Amino acid sequence: MKRNLFLSASLFCAALTMQAQQVAFEEYDLDNGMHVILHQDNTAPIVTTSVMYHVGAKDENPEKTGFAHFFEHLLFEGTKNIERGKWMEIVSSNGGSNNANTTQDRTYYYEVFPSNKLELGLWLESERLMHPVINQIGVDTQKEVVQEEKRMRVDNSPYGKFREQIGINLFKNHPYRWQTIGSLEHLANATLEDFKDFNKIYYVPNNAVLVVAGDFEVDSTKKMIQDYFGPIPRGKEIKRNKYTEEPITSTIKASYNDPNIQIPAIFTAYRTPANTEKDAYVLDMISTYLTSGKSSKLYKSLVDDKKMALQVFAFNNSQEDYGSYIIGALPLGNTSLNDLIAEFDKEIAKLQTELISEKDYQKLQNKFENNFVNSNSGVEGIANSLARNYMLFGDTNLINTEIEIYKAITREDIKNVANKYLKPNQRVELEYLPVAKPEN
Amino acid sequence: MKKIYSLLVIALIAFNLQAQVDRSKMPEAGPLPEINLSEPQRFELKNGLKVLVVENHKLPRVSIQLIIDNPPVAEGNKAGVSSFVSSLLGNGSKSISKDDFNEELDFMGASMSFGSESASAFALSKYFTRIVELMADASINPNFTQEEFDKEKEKILTGLKADEKNVSSIASKVQSTLAYGQKHPYGEQVTEETINNITLQDVKQFYNDYFVPANAYMVIIGDVNFKEVKKLIKENFVGWTKATPPSFSLPTPKDVQYTQINFVDAPNAVQSEIAVENLVNLKKNDPDYLAALMANRILGGGGSGRLFLNLREDKAYTYGSYSSIGNDKNSVSRFRAFASVRNAVTDSAVVEILSEIDKIASTPVSEEELSAAKAAYIGNFIMALEKPSTMANYALNIETEGLDKDYYKTYLEKVNAITVADVENAAKKYFKSSNARIVVTGKGSEVLENLEKVTFKGQSVPVKYFDRYGNAVEKPKYDVAVPEGVDANKVLADYIAAIGGKAKLESITSYYIKAKAAVQGQELLLEIKKTTSNQFMQNVSMMGNSVSKQVLDGDSGFMVIQGRKMDMQEAQISAIKAESAPFPELNFLNGEATLKGIEDFDGTKAYVVKFNDTKSAAYNTKTGLKIADITTTPQGSATISYTDYKEVSGVQFPFIWKQAMGPQKFDFNVTEIKVNEGVTAEDFK
Repeated sequence: MKRNLFLSASLFCAALTMQAQQVAFEEYDLDNGMHVILHQDNTAPIVTTSVMYHVGAKDENPEKTGFAHFFEHLLFEGTKNIERGKWMEIVSSNGGSNNANTTQDRTYYYEVFPSNKLELGLWLESERLMHPVINQIGVDTQKEVVQEEKRMRVDNSPYGKFREQIGINLFKNHPYRWQTIGSLEHLANATLEDFKDFNKIYYVPNNAVLVVAGDFEVDSTKKMIQDYFGPIPRGKEIKRNKYTEEPITSTIKASYNDPNIQIPAIFTAYRTPANTEKDAYVLDMISTYLTSGKSSKLYKSLVDDKKMALQVFAFNNSQEDYGSYIIGALPLGNTSLNDLIAEFDKEIAKLQTELISEKDYQKLQNKFENNFVNSNSGVEGIANSLARNYMLFGDTNLINTEIEIYKAITREDIKNVANKYLKPNQRVELEYLPVAKPEN
Repeated sequence: MKKIYSLLVIALIAFNLQAQVDRSKMPEAGPLPEINLSEPQRFELKNGLKVLVVENHKLPRVSIQLIIDNPPVAEGNKAGVSSFVSSLLGNGSKSISKDDFNEELDFMGASMSFGSESASAFALSKYFTRIVELMADASINPNFTQEEFDKEKEKILTGLKADEKNVSSIASKVQSTLAYGQKHPYGEQVTEETINNITLQDVKQFYNDYFVPANAYMVIIGDVNFKEVKKLIKENFVGWTKATPPSFSLPTPKDVQYTQINFVDAPNAVQSEIAVENLVNLKKNDPDYLAALMANRILGGGGSGRLFLNLREDKAYTYGSYSSIGNDKNSVSRFRAFASVRNAVTDSAVVEILSEIDKIASTPVSEEELSAAKAAYIGNFIMALEKPSTMANYALNIETEGLDKDYYKTYLEKVNAITVADVENAAKKYFKSSNARIVVTGKGSEVLENLEKVTFKGQSVPVKYFDRYGNAVEKPKYDVAVPEGVDANKVLADYIAAIGGKAKLESITSYYIKAKAAVQGQELLLEIKKTTSNQFMQNVSMMGNSVSKQVLDGDSGFMVIQGRKMDMQEAQISAIKAESAPFPELNFLNGEATLKGIEDFDGTKAYVVKFNDTKSAAYNTKTGLKIADITTTPQGSATISYTDYKEVSGVQFPFIWKQAMGPQKFDFNVTEIKVNEGVTAEDFK
């Protein structure tokens, strides 16, 4: 039986016979401020090493957007001990895989290796932090690569700009008003010094969490972590600005023309609270209630019964400072975009005036239980959850307790939150349209 | 402070004590972890359904997959009928209404979906019994109704319309069609016409023919007990009537006889989709299958492949370039090397991809590359062991692909035994740079001119033209209908006449233009000053701070970008000089400019006149007014478009300037224009 660091052995056995599994972990700080989380699971011979940095698009200077994501590219260019262009080769030639991603709140890098390559993973991540080579050739190459990424993901992609358009309208002060990919112009104008400065501020051990998850031996791993990450000097305290947004009190109407589409779309977007607030979890439930699954209210009504929409979808983006809840649909046949909004509003009005049925409430709870069981099925995903819970929620153990938050949500909470956040005058309405046909 | 200092000292001491890691060398790997491959348990029903069960009790959940391993089916003039089958399955059964069915699944937090010859479900294991009952009922007693059919039809038709301008979707379909031909199951395309040919009866027929148990496998993985599974599946699937699907012979597609570009025009594309492809005859049980995978891995597998290193890391043409090689026991499949690249480098990217294919097929790979590729496969093999589905997949492959019983037990040995010569032979056999189809889907008006000049190994590569459905078409014409007698001089003369006449323009020695734009809530101010003595000043500022400034005074000039001042190089000076005149067109009436043709600018037809390699401009064919200045550089093109002409001092000036730099857009509104005043020599110092 594996060593359990969180619960006594007898409790652990009891937990096994109950539903949810417990993810055991241990966490501590290095002297340089780097936080370390270890999750041991020896069932398969693989190990994930990952580092999350508390830097995202929202930490950028408004005139230098796109930096956080740019670093996600730049920091694969090479280090003092890893020649330029060799990073990917080292990973794949050792049978591993690696990737990185950036959001508005944080940047995440990880490798997955067969477990005999654990030390390699630690070396790679410590080199990235300790010895990155930031030079003109790397910057120039990645500038162009990022341009191509944006062309592919945003400019050439149908409906690729809705998040950008919603962000601009939903946020006036907060850096969430720009997208993670940032401005190509800002990147084009940025100098090597700008990038070096950014690295110096944010890529420091006291702004990072290291996770090792999978098949390893605890004591020798701790020693290796100290060997590879311990010598990295602590950085300066990071000053973060606090941005607040005035509440939206009258509907913001916006429209956008996308040359890549033929069928228009309507989006309504509401500004929601920080991801640590209980209300953000309630909105997750509302989102599921309205659009997840074939028996969800909006899918059933718009796609199935009334055949007014080709698709209806919703995103509840919980983020560190604020979130956004976006509902969207593509009309079918002669349905107008206003008809779709009216249908969204009908369902939301019901949430605001009546309690959802006991049966629907139980269904929601079942769905979240199912999500919870599935969310921790692989060590790669567990590593990501541990890092995220520590960094953005301030509670690593949320990986085990998050389900309790959902369980504690009542039907009354759902009604209250629908009233608090989802009024028509609190939202952005974005008409997302094809480019008008040229006159002949 | 003190405390931090002392901690540092401790850290340093600690480091000194254990300074045995040498960071300058890559750490060595430990011994290879032990590999455990266990066999799934199995049983078979009398109707032919074979069931594989992997018990895994780590999480309280279960997954069920039903796979009907029939050969591919050509749907011909009813292409799309299988999409109807997949959408219409899972809408309840003859005895459970669709709403009740969906409601019950959602209530359990479970999911279930159907393909035309498959089904799958995921649920918590406490609901296993009910999930099996629902899946069996929906599979064996489907509820096909006209109402659902009609709804699905409208959705498919709307979906086709939604995809009409989706460049990557057009590209991926036409690549298949061109490779396999329009009549092969992998090459046929679903169109409005084929959808309109389909009736509810066709859907039922397809289901009756192909949703049958002869070639069916069911894989159940998770927190279940084998004995209970056996009992449950027997009870629920015994009613699935034994039958074998009809069989047809497939068309046999052929590679092209010589390497050629197949161009498909997509006027809204900002990137070109390139795929270099040829057919391969490869099955999982071929002796050189793994060697072919290694060759593909070295060429275009992920971020360490040659294509990625060349086209992304070295040339920065693309976000990523990769290759893939298919395998199929029933049919030919494809080798493809592909990338999405910006318009300006389309031709160069084609050449680079072809060269990489040619190189790997003609010269041996290095030992390092091969051992890296092997390590990648070994690592992936080990890492896949984390998923309980892996064992089931392996067992299924052994069964359906005719592999040896111990194929996966000896997999690592087989990978390790591959030699450089094996890889070379496989590359020669499967990657055909002399019989390749280079399918380019992109914006012809920007990329064709250079694509037609592509040469490879000293031979020019012919370009053939196709529509999105793979039908051969004439070369698209972008320069149609330039009326007789119209040339660059006439276009420029008409423009000059339209804005005030040559004499009037020549009387203007300087002007000053001020314009404003809003960018993310901030005001951007643009000021331009020009004179007839090679003087030019352009300043962009935000809240009183200059963001970028360019100044030319005769033969010298400088620019200031965010506070950094740099002198202009000679090339920059001559480029700006050409534009520094108040009306540069006056200097191009000598025949230096060329008329490129007529193009469409957001619905307006305009003559495009090219002044030099970087500068061109567009003039409305009806009004003669200039509607855009276009700057083309290797990094992409930037356009400033002009509208809302108004008269100032007898000359028509545009009052709205829209600048597009790639995806960035700025809308400037002109707030002030001064002619022959407001400009002094000091402005250019």
